Amino acid sequence: MKMNSHSDIDSQESIILADIYQFLAYTMGYPEPELIGNPFLDAMEKMLENYGMHSEQQDIDAWRQSEKDEDLSDTLQIEYTRLFINAVPKIIAPPYASFYLDGDHNLQGKTTQKTRDYYRQYGCDITNPHEPADHIQLELEFLASLCRDYELDAEEMFLKTLFRPWFKQFYNRIIEDQGHPFYRVSVQLIDYITKEEQ
Amino acid sequence: MAINLTRRKFLKTASIAAASVPLSKVTAHAEAGVVKTPLIPKGSFKDTKTVTGGICEMCFWRCQLVGKVRDGVLKKIEGNPKSIDNGSALCARGNAGIKLLYDPDRLKYPMKNMGKRGEPKWKRISWEEALDECGKKLKATVDKHGPEGIAMFPHGASAKYPMHYFEHVVGTPNVSEASFFQCRGVRDYAWLSTIGAAPGEHVDMANAKVIFGLGCHFGENIHVSHTKRYLKGLENGAKLVIVDPRFSASASKADIWMQIKPGTDTAMLLAMMNYLVENKKFNAEYVDEYGEGFDEFKEAISPWTLEKAAKECDVPAAQIKEIADLLAANAPNVSIHPGRFSSWYGNDFQRGRALACLAGLLGAFGVPGGFVKGIGPGGFGKVKWGHGHEAIKALHREAKVHHQSPAGTPTDLIRDCAITSKPYPIKSCVVWGQNPIQTIPNQQKTIDMLMQMDFVMCVDVMPTDITMYADILLPEASYLERYDYIKKGTQWDLSAKQQQYVSARMPLVEAEFERKDQVYICNELAKRMGNEEAIPVQTIEEMVDKILEPASLSIKKLNEEDGIHLQPGKDPYGDFLDINFFSEDLVEQGYPGAPTYEPIPDVPKGYLRLLFGRSPLHSFNRTQNNAWLHNAMPENPVWIHDKTAKLLGLKDGDRISMVNSEGVESGTTSHVKVTPGIREDCVFIAHGHGTQNAAMTVAKDAGIDDQKLVTILAVDPETGCHGMRNNFIKIVKA
Ligand code: SF4
Repeated sequence: MKMNSHSDIDSQESIILADIYQFLAYTMGYPEPELIGNPFLDAMEKMLENYGMHSEQQDIDAWRQSEKDEDLSDTLQIEYTRLFINAVPKIIAPPYASFYLDGDHNLQGKTTQKTRDYYRQYGCDITNPHEPADHIQLELEFLASLCRDYELDAEEMFLKTLFRPWFKQFYNRIIEDQGHPFYRVSVQLIDYITKEEQ
Repeated sequence: MAINLTRRKFLKTASIAAASVPLSKVTAHAEAGVVKTPLIPKGSFKDTKTVTGGICEMCFWRCQLVGKVRDGVLKKIEGNPKSIDNGSALCARGNAGIKLLYDPDRLKYPMKNMGKRGEPKWKRISWEEALDECGKKLKATVDKHGPEGIAMFPHGASAKYPMHYFEHVVGTPNVSEASFFQCRGVRDYAWLSTIGAAPGEHVDMANAKVIFGLGCHFGENIHVSHTKRYLKGLENGAKLVIVDPRFSASASKADIWMQIKPGTDTAMLLAMMNYLVENKKFNAEYVDEYGEGFDEFKEAISPWTLEKAAKECDVPAAQIKEIADLLAANAPNVSIHPGRFSSWYGNDFQRGRALACLAGLLGAFGVPGGFVKGIGPGGFGKVKWGHGHEAIKALHREAKVHHQSPAGTPTDLIRDCAITSKPYPIKSCVVWGQNPIQTIPNQQKTIDMLMQMDFVMCVDVMPTDITMYADILLPEASYLERYDYIKKGTQWDLSAKQQQYVSARMPLVEAEFERKDQVYICNELAKRMGNEEAIPVQTIEEMVDKILEPASLSIKKLNEEDGIHLQPGKDPYGDFLDINFFSEDLVEQGYPGAPTYEPIPDVPKGYLRLLFGRSPLHSFNRTQNNAWLHNAMPENPVWIHDKTAKLLGLKDGDRISMVNSEGVESGTTSHVKVTPGIREDCVFIAHGHGTQNAAMTVAKDAGIDDQKLVTILAVDPETGCHGMRNNFIKIVKA
């Protein structure tokens, strides 16, 4: 029996939480057309509708109306590259924790190591050792895995010590940039789901 | 916006949402980045391993390294304690290599420019797509315009393999290396035409009685084993003579510092040699035995009295004599340093010739302290591309100019040819590790050249300025993540126990993201351009092993020997080289047979000559974005003489920018260093600062970029190399 202080979240809700994390993780991955197609975007819009995020839903909808289906992932790929990979004049928000937490303009810093250690402590690891473990997509996938296992204390601890300390800076960069609604909306959703209770 | 949406509420609505949105179904096809693994006991990955076999490339000196690696991540770089070259020592840049490795600004995946050239909108694409596009476009250029329709700008060890592909298989002569045309090519060819060999930096300073350096600023210009030789020489009591308009780090240690007027060095050398000849203070025996054309040479330099040179060079005649006497008294054990970067004023071939002749007059070859090449290990294999097209004549050969040009084609000629399409169009451009925007003077012309291309591809480690002009941009594995270069040589002190070493560059860690090595990239291009049968090796490991095999070595063997193979060496002394004091070949090509002084433009009234050089913390622009090196030296102070500063109302620390005599502004600022240690008519800055490329997030706008202000191009007539110090600036208070 897992020890969880989150008595208000039962194991079934925890599975839902896992699904949401998993979904949000993929919004932060490279938008391959096989994944970010209409079913994915429909699901996103449905979520926004259910959460009462109407203007965000309208933004996504307006974008989908304005482009041909086959161009959607192309647009997102250019935007993803600009935000997270390389851009001129510069990328907006490197999606790695250690960029924000370890100072000194670095990837693969102490935080990356701590993050990977945390994964391992809970029986997980990254599948591609050639990319830093503290990419936001991987962190969200890990959170999904914890929730699937109903490890809510571990989830909370991870959020507190390794996720939230950098996420807010990352989030601000994207919101301030006022780029594509897909990424603005995605980080808002991530913010809500990872935010501490007031 | 649902401002009050909290995690709890979110989840509550989520349970309703879950019923209508089957999230797990939408994501079911995706590949997982985090998976369940068997539980690993805590601490299992904490062991730090020492990985041997690294070779530094923070500069071209290539010191031998080991890496401290934990859990696949490089934590620290150290000198390889087994090295008989750099030993366990590395310079600051070598140590900071780790910051390049994990620089967040580095290129990570292949990208395609979906926007305009110069204002790119990048899209990450697959290697397959990127290579297909490059292959198709390059092939189209060859089909339409012939192989000469492709220009290539390579730099560094990784560019050699592709360079040979484009030269020999594709067959374009339009290849231009910055390390030749904007750096040492002119030196190499000047010495080649005088002693029959490129000089490298082969002077036995550790065992010299006098070290003579023209513009050499050891200490600011650091190459570990070279600096060791220099310091050992000083420790052993060598006298140091430094000729430099600036009180450099070496000048501060010198017994004689000659503060010469820029560009007049050859006049001083000619007067010194004339004095030695007239007063019979040269090594007549050596000249008799090994000299060619001495009488013509003697005749040609005879007008150069000490007084005449003193006037030209703005130095006391007595000082020229003092240096000549010092050298003569200690000959032949004197190090006449050939220098390295020698693209100074456009009269540089003659200076190189004069330096080599001076060494000849002193008989300073093959003796302790003189010009001595260590005898390194031999018997290595070669990896050669099969020859495809016979390369057409290079532009300078066709035009019968720059007969002493280094291999490749002078940059200017390629650029002019591309811009004018005369004598033929150049429509594709391959840039491999070079940053022509910051290495080739006159940036606008380089941009014009790029803009008229049908296709531009770049392969690099960082998003340097040139990469903004790429249609396809490919990320290369850095020197810490790949095999390649074989480094071989002898112990650094030529008089110590004779030993030879062999090492090969081996990765300290695996390449991250989707970075690839040059053999992979180039082979894939070759396949797509229809040249598959010419491919000499399938992988980079195969290439290294093929080179090592005839010497009975292999990657495996080197690994077993901690990255460095040692074997007994040979006595390097006794190699007395022939000296071409007067060259009939040069006369035939229309150049002076004996070293000749060619004056350069004077500083116009109201301007200052812009001089630039090295700093110990940076290797040109390549290291400017390195966070450690940047923190240690964020910008390049502008050296201004006390009197000039007073005249301009400047004090130490004032912020300034510059504008050159052609109206080009530096665009960025730096601070003033007021000092008596520079001529009144010059300013000096360290090269390699002041990028305006915002993708270089650390270095952007820090300091002043001298290259931007180098718009007046002097071209060395014999070699076609650039002279870059004939530019004049005014100071603008910021
Ligand atoms: S001198 Fe410094 S930068 Fe150059 S190879 Fe050696 S350690 Fe590296």
